[in-house]
Amino acid sequence: MPVTASEFFAAKSPEVRRSTLWWSADTLGAALFAASLAAWLGAGIGPHSPQHKLWILSVLGVSGTVRAIVQACASRHGQRAANAVKQRLRRRLFEALLPTGFRRGRLPGEDLRAAVDDVETAEGYVARFAPIKAAAVLSPLICAGLACLASWVAAAIMLATLIPFAIGMVLAGNAARVEADRQLLALSRMTGLFVDRARALPTIVSFGAEERATRQIASAAREVADRTLLVLKIAFVSSAILEFFAALSVALIAVYCGFSLLGLLPFQAPEHLNLGRAFFVLAMAPEFYLGMRRMAAAYHEKQQGEAAASALQPEVERAEALLEAMDETSALAGPLKIEALVIRYDDGSCIGPATASWPATGLHVITGPTGSGKSSLLHALVGMAPVASGRILVSGSEIAPGNLNSQIGWSGQRPFLLPGSLQDNLLLGAQMAPIPAWQALVARLGLETMLNARGANLAIDPAGSGLSGGERRRIGLARAILSNRPILLLDEPTADLDADTAHDVAVVLMEVSRTRLVIAATHDPLLLSKAQSEVTYS
Amino acid sequence: MKQDILDIAGISQRPTRLTASLVGMIAAITGVALVAISGWFLTGAAIAGAGGIVAVQAFNYLLPSAGIRGLAIARTLSRYFERILGHRAALIGLADLRPLLFARLAGADISEITSRSSGTIAAHLGSDVEALEDLSIRRIAMTAATAGALAGLGAALLAGVAPALMLVLGLALTLLMTRLLAPRLLSRHYRDHGDAVQSLKGLYSEYANSSVELALYGQAERVSRILEVQGLRIDHSRLAIVRGEGLLQGLQLALASLTIAIMLASTLAPLELQALSALAGAGAFEALGSLNHSLLQRARVTAALTRLSAIASLPARAGEAGGRPIPVCATGPSITLGQGNEATTVVAGGRIRVTGASGSGKTRLVMHLVGLRRDAPQSILVGGAKVNELGIDILRNIFAFSAQEAPLIAGTLADNLRLARTGVTEETMWSALEVACLAKTVRAMPEGLETWLGPDGARLSGGQRKRLSLARALVAEKSWLVLDEPSEGLDLATEQQMTSKLDAWLRETGTGLVLVNHRSGLDWLAKDVFKL
Repeated sequence: MPVTASEFFAAKSPEVRRSTLWWSADTLGAALFAASLAAWLGAGIGPHSPQHKLWILSVLGVSGTVRAIVQACASRHGQRAANAVKQRLRRRLFEALLPTGFRRGRLPGEDLRAAVDDVETAEGYVARFAPIKAAAVLSPLICAGLACLASWVAAAIMLATLIPFAIGMVLAGNAARVEADRQLLALSRMTGLFVDRARALPTIVSFGAEERATRQIASAAREVADRTLLVLKIAFVSSAILEFFAALSVALIAVYCGFSLLGLLPFQAPEHLNLGRAFFVLAMAPEFYLGMRRMAAAYHEKQQGEAAASALQPEVERAEALLEAMDETSALAGPLKIEALVIRYDDGSCIGPATASWPATGLHVITGPTGSGKSSLLHALVGMAPVASGRILVSGSEIAPGNLNSQIGWSGQRPFLLPGSLQDNLLLGAQMAPIPAWQALVARLGLETMLNARGANLAIDPAGSGLSGGERRRIGLARAILSNRPILLLDEPTADLDADTAHDVAVVLMEVSRTRLVIAATHDPLLLSKAQSEVTYS
Repeated sequence: MKQDILDIAGISQRPTRLTASLVGMIAAITGVALVAISGWFLTGAAIAGAGGIVAVQAFNYLLPSAGIRGLAIARTLSRYFERILGHRAALIGLADLRPLLFARLAGADISEITSRSSGTIAAHLGSDVEALEDLSIRRIAMTAATAGALAGLGAALLAGVAPALMLVLGLALTLLMTRLLAPRLLSRHYRDHGDAVQSLKGLYSEYANSSVELALYGQAERVSRILEVQGLRIDHSRLAIVRGEGLLQGLQLALASLTIAIMLASTLAPLELQALSALAGAGAFEALGSLNHSLLQRARVTAALTRLSAIASLPARAGEAGGRPIPVCATGPSITLGQGNEATTVVAGGRIRVTGASGSGKTRLVMHLVGLRRDAPQSILVGGAKVNELGIDILRNIFAFSAQEAPLIAGTLADNLRLARTGVTEETMWSALEVACLAKTVRAMPEGLETWLGPDGARLSGGQRKRLSLARALVAEKSWLVLDEPSEGLDLATEQQMTSKLDAWLRETGTGLVLVNHRSGLDWLAKDVFKL
């Protein structure tokens, strides 16, 4: 169920309310300035003691400091509220998106944008827009209320200009939404183009296609500029409406008060004004619209926040549903069987049906031409590919994809590395005590030289700098074996390796398969020749 | 130099910018005048009202009340046009900056390109240029602010020299303190913020690539905590920025009311002029606000400008200007790999395989050969000249390269093939796809050559990407084809078919081949071997 951006970000926290109250209190600071200036001028007409005047000037002098403190508190509470929202949101997104990114079939860049950029966008919405929006209702009321103490007619003029203003804003707001959506689309397309052409720049240069790529960048940049201008035009029209009414209310109040003071009103004076009162309402007139002007300035943040929320919500909910489905009770390992398993991706492409039966131990392969779905089958077994029909059975009873995951040691095409030592990374899956001979296994996989050169305790970074593709792959393989899990699923365990190393790896796999079930997706003739069974895709 | 970038970009928009500044000045002056005259009118009216009927009749109320209404309208209109014109000048002007920077970078030495990550380049073209847009708009706001401050000052002079002097002092003090304090309070936090965002993005994309393992080994929570630490860094620096900005803006508010109180204390002018000068002073401070705002952003803008001018001032690649040809025979230059006894020379149209164990530097060698790197330790000669002296502009006319990771661009299949050279016909594309054994697959796609591939060929499998990258190298029609692991990810049958078609194509066109391969199925393509 889609919820509003405010609900999605949980933007109604006590911190936000505090920020709203501070923003509204800013009107009181403004009133302090207006009242003391009015009192000074009022005092100028009649006789007043110098002490009295000094008092007035002191209040006038510190009124700015009061406002400064109030505004700083408002911004700080807003930022604190936003920080809390962002921290909650990040945890939720990271935990849901990272383990399901592959299963959802999203491009890495899309998830990155959601988990980092969209979260930052929430900041403007929560820290500024949400409190300022509530304050935009409160502060004009406070302002009119204070003005009413001096002149109820002036307060009435302020409130009356609100009606045509509201109509103008609604009209402009509707037009703005349509254009803003188009602009956001063009913007994200342009950003995508930058990343893409920057990544491919060496290729572009090596084919001498710079001019062509530059032309594409130029036209995308122009389009964004044009679209942005359209959006801004509407935004500026609405702020012109706002300013016009703000100026109008100043002018109306000035003229009314002036004529009232002169005694030249063309109608019976509804109240008695003096200079102090008149000046106070005049100085308060611009403040009446200040809250709304602030809201108009934060309108862009509202739009961006809403766009981010509507992009994030369905994706994170989808990810959480997938996690929940995988997370159910884990089955125990045993003979594994698939019956007529069909995988269907979102784009309609279909793999299978595949049927196979694997005993509890032995080396087994999945083979077939490129793009035929070997990796997909492995992924389906761990709940990382969408299974459309068919069954997975363990020891004769059906399980949902992913329910066997705690029994499976996995080595994919690009094993990941955690910040920490090499040893940490190798023993990542070994929850119990590692097999004592783990170093011997690592040596047999041909990683000895690397391990000796770098040391098992050497810290590595997730980018795995300095490790070759083949070394990384073998770290993944060692990790899967060392996890001691009874089933090993391996994707191309011998790719990227030279013939000698590939042979060593195959021997290790043969040995491991005496006590465990090893299923490898591969085209490697060596592994094919040693396998006890073969599932072939065509 | 920094000035240059903005000038290059803004030159076409100079008239718009000037007009925007002019209207901006009008807006600021009318804004100050509106409040000042209102205050003066009101006070004058009150004094006249208190003075009795004669004084009232002597008071000219028509002119000021009409003036107030006129000023209200003039201010609204001029503000609108200031904004529209200012943004047009900035947006259109800087839209031209993006392709210009891209072209500079693409025309620079190849090491400048490969040393920058795609994320960094995208950030330069995106958010850094945006920071300049901000600057360009603010420049107009600054002229307006100055005009507003001067108008306020002029109005204060009516109340006497002393209050005007006080106003000058107050404004100057505000500017000075903001200027001094802003870098101290903000620069470090802006930098921290930028760094934290960058490292969060870097870490996230690393881990996102290993989504399946994260799930299987139950590491998602642990990784999430690692990433959250970076998130906290972002949030801390944001809070520090908000604090610093609050302090600086507060300083301005505090000084404004203090200055006005002192102005009033220092004048004996008639009451209506006191009212006028107090309100004009407030107006002047408000106008100064936007000036101060740009001082607050200075750290961010300066950092962006420095990064962009580093790109804008990159020298063009050597050889680009001269474009001198190297000595070649009619069919193309020869290649010599290695030194002394181990040196292997292949003449134009010949074939050679580069072999060696995993991690021995095969990829590095061929990338050096085609001009994309410069760090291979082996000696490489092309047409008898050292490859480093030739540079990519010459080498790219000799070699067509299909890299190991087969990079593709976001666009259609045809877009990717057209990258190879200008004027590629559909017929050429199909025959290249035929050789690469991809024609059948493409024909099966509903949109054929116009199939959208998504970023980096996301819709293709590993083997399909390889073959498309090969087809692109074939379309380029250069005298040498350089292939890095062209059959990785292909099944044996497709590999065989592709190899024999490639062999025929090479013979037919007389093109030479430099090949890197692990898999033995390709070995027969080239008898000569250079072993690392």
